[in-house]
Amino acid sequence: MNQLVAPARSLDKSTTPGALFSTLSIPIAILVLVVIGSVASPSFLTVNNLTNVLNANSAVGLIALGMTFVMVSGGLADLSVPANVAMGALVTLGAQESMGTGLAALMGLLVASMGGVVNGILIGYLRINPIIATLGTGSVLLGLSQLLVGGGIVYAQPSALSTFVKSSILGIPVFIWIFIFVALILHPLLARTSFGRWSLAVGGNYQAAQASAVPVRFTKAAAFAMTGFLAGLCGVLLALSNGQARPIIGTGYEFVAITAVVIGGTSVFGGNGSVLRTVGGVLITALIGNLIILLGFPSQATGLITGAIVLGAVGIDAYFRRKAGRL
Amino acid sequence: MKNFDFALLGARAVQYRLVIMLVAVAVFGGLSLDDFLTVNTLQSVLDRATVVGFLALGLTPVLIAGQIDLSIGSMMSMAGITTIFMQPVIGNVPAAAAGVAVGILIGAVNALMVVVFKINSLVATLATLLIFASLALLLTNSYPLSSEDPIFGLPLTADFLWILTPRSAIFLIAAVLMFVWLKLTPTGRNLYAVGSDASAATSSGINANGYIAASFVLSGFFAGLAGMMQSLSTAAGSPVAGAVMLIPAITAVVIGGTRLEGGRGSSLATLGGVLALGALTTALEYNGVPSYTQAIYTGLLLILLISLDRIVSGHGGASSRAQRSVRVAPRNTPLPRRNA
Amino acid sequence: MIARRNILVASAAATLLFAVAGCTAADTDTASGDAGSVEGKSICYVTLANSHPYVTPANEGAQAAADAAGVELTIVSEEFSAQTGAEQLNSCVSRGVDGILLWPADENSYLPGLLKAEQAGIPVVAIDTRAGDESMELIKSFAGADKYDQGKISAQQLDGALDSTGGIVVIAGQAGNGTEIARSGGFLDELESMGSGLEILATVNADFDQQKALVASRDLITKFGDQIKGVYAQDDTMAKGFLQALEESGLDFVPVVVGINGEAGAFDNIREGKQFSTILQPPFRNGELAIETLIAVMKGETVPEMVPLENTIVDSSNVDDLEPAL
Repeated sequence: MNQLVAPARSLDKSTTPGALFSTLSIPIAILVLVVIGSVASPSFLTVNNLTNVLNANSAVGLIALGMTFVMVSGGLADLSVPANVAMGALVTLGAQESMGTGLAALMGLLVASMGGVVNGILIGYLRINPIIATLGTGSVLLGLSQLLVGGGIVYAQPSALSTFVKSSILGIPVFIWIFIFVALILHPLLARTSFGRWSLAVGGNYQAAQASAVPVRFTKAAAFAMTGFLAGLCGVLLALSNGQARPIIGTGYEFVAITAVVIGGTSVFGGNGSVLRTVGGVLITALIGNLIILLGFPSQATGLITGAIVLGAVGIDAYFRRKAGRL
Repeated sequence: MKNFDFALLGARAVQYRLVIMLVAVAVFGGLSLDDFLTVNTLQSVLDRATVVGFLALGLTPVLIAGQIDLSIGSMMSMAGITTIFMQPVIGNVPAAAAGVAVGILIGAVNALMVVVFKINSLVATLATLLIFASLALLLTNSYPLSSEDPIFGLPLTADFLWILTPRSAIFLIAAVLMFVWLKLTPTGRNLYAVGSDASAATSSGINANGYIAASFVLSGFFAGLAGMMQSLSTAAGSPVAGAVMLIPAITAVVIGGTRLEGGRGSSLATLGGVLALGALTTALEYNGVPSYTQAIYTGLLLILLISLDRIVSGHGGASSRAQRSVRVAPRNTPLPRRNA
Repeated sequence: MIARRNILVASAAATLLFAVAGCTAADTDTASGDAGSVEGKSICYVTLANSHPYVTPANEGAQAAADAAGVELTIVSEEFSAQTGAEQLNSCVSRGVDGILLWPADENSYLPGLLKAEQAGIPVVAIDTRAGDESMELIKSFAGADKYDQGKISAQQLDGALDSTGGIVVIAGQAGNGTEIARSGGFLDELESMGSGLEILATVNADFDQQKALVASRDLITKFGDQIKGVYAQDDTMAKGFLQALEESGLDFVPVVVGINGEAGAFDNIREGKQFSTILQPPFRNGELAIETLIAVMKGETVPEMVPLENTIVDSSNVDDLEPAL
């Protein structure tokens, strides 16, 4: 088992240019963006704005944390995210009246997790291609969510929970605390536990992992179940803080999450990656969004800039790794 | 024994899925609607299938080569706005060619990213999807362009040869030509070899990278064709024309039986998938089934077909095959490291 | 910006279509308009969406009016895509229905389908949004409040409330979306034609999504602070996102916020003095009105070019007298 994991680790610890790049690229990228921001806009380096940056992608960032496990374990990507976000949000608000906010939120989480479990069974146990499986389940679940509410907006009732979700602790919004909390659980889960090692092994070499008695199916399935749960959590939080929800609530979140994970440097092929890197990726995407507005760029340019950064980061990374491989 | 029969039944169902689906849709449509089984309906289904059809057709060689192209919708939008924008500048036919050329060019960018810079195709084309969708909006300031010569493209969707329209005729011919190329020529067969196992193909002397690059350029060509035809036949170039096209195109290809794992698939299967999906959509629409309910049906169908396929074809290893074929490792890499 | 050509082009196109078609087309059409009953006739309704706060009730209104008249209504949804809608329009024509109700998702894309409908003798009426001028030549009537007009009203509201001076931010819908295009177009055109002194500090696309509006608004407030004298949000959901960001910021300036749609949440905010106004249009009535107009056309009656649906401006003066649309 350790042998399986060793290559990925050793790369990070060695001192080849590639390893240096992959260790330092995220801090450097963040630094560069921060410098650009502070030079270009006087309002950038203010407590308020930096809180905005942290807060901007904290909800969708939760999904990116789960997506890290999907990619690390060789599950490519989960495209059913918007459906699970919608399910989490709509079920919570829909059930609020009959069962109270707390239970309704749990219900929302449960339903979204079920969606994730179905993905897990299809992909982990039936070994269906993740892109197709999650395309299918996403289509079904989003259709169901629209069927549930028709065209309507579901409104929330005032509740202690939603007041809490919108509040700040020690000057930092609860959304950010939740993101930090989840990241603090998931980072060691991937980096230090057997489950984390299984994930890396399954993504690194499926057959070898299977041969060394790693529960390959469970590991892969669990990554999708986790992502379903986190998408649901994202939906529940958004519904409670926004006070209303519609089926379109999570549109595009799958791409934001994938982009954040990829910018963080986790490989789509599986086998290496870290939650901490994804946190970096989430920060970078949030900084891009923030700078576009502060610098007065048109918001249509977001895709252009994000895409270019993805190509740049991944291309350079691939170049160094290839070079390291040849040496 | 019973088990065996069941398996056989399943295998046959998978094998003849397109025929079964088309017949089922015809029966369902015929029973539920008076005016479904008519020449007009057939013509309309074929014509509507054209745009998604071109995209799906372009996607087929990419998937056979074990890659994926998420940027087809953005290429289509770019081609459409180019065509309409260039019409008054360089004339109708050159403008149409320019539209297709833009598709080819973006396809070449994808090829460059995947083959030369070794970026995983899922990531590379996700990036170009974002970049060119964004560029299309920036270039047009988010407004759809109106054609200066709206009459020019009209004949594309006019009646032509009984059940066809000119554009659906071109689509059918393209599907057949691609079938001939894939199945009957050495280069076509090499593509399957590349998709099944790129490094094995490379060591047997096939230029795997060349084939992969070509498949992306081809995908760009077809997306360009789709955008050009769509924009001419609606006399408008919309920057978001292709935004909703990716999922139907992938669905059609997969329903047809081409696998994302690479090494398997056919353009006629894609044609069948496109038609089955188109006929189903039309039958459901004629019955007034809301779009979200249609999405539920389509999603279930996709899961059912792919599960059946997986169960019937039995033995596993598909996921690792996917990775192996997606990764075009440089030869003799000592420790195959999966970079993205 | 968008080229306007006269009707000659359209009729020339129709003629050409005939020529190319070789005239094998649609012998099934029956829309010969035998005045009197339309019972048992069929209408195809290409709607913008199936699941949407405004569109769904409009669809229900259309269904109710069709049921009342004994007309068979088939609703197909283009899901905000003009390209899909154009294909569906063609499909409706080739099906040979007696009338078509069309919800244009953009100005331009329906012209070829409309020509085919004209050729097949099938009358088309537009609902909620106008198509381009050329297309409108082929459309018998338009029933709706028009999103372009809503953009104009919003411009008048903001300009009036701010005495034509000061900085404003625009929180727009999804770039390229038909509603966004119409509401932006109306707003900008009206500001220009009024010679308004309002200065647009920034325009962001928040995709009609509260969360995206919230995130963007935080940044806008950070950058511009109390320079923001006015906010044009292209729907009430995004207005809510801005107000949420303003509340979080703790700053105590009160910009003039105008929204559109007449959502329940906006009514509350208007009562509390946080939002200046919204525009209310009754969706159910919009659907009914459109089908009634189309049926009148099918009966051979003459209908006006536009059957207006009132855009009611909701502000603190009348908020307690009105019911939210959704």
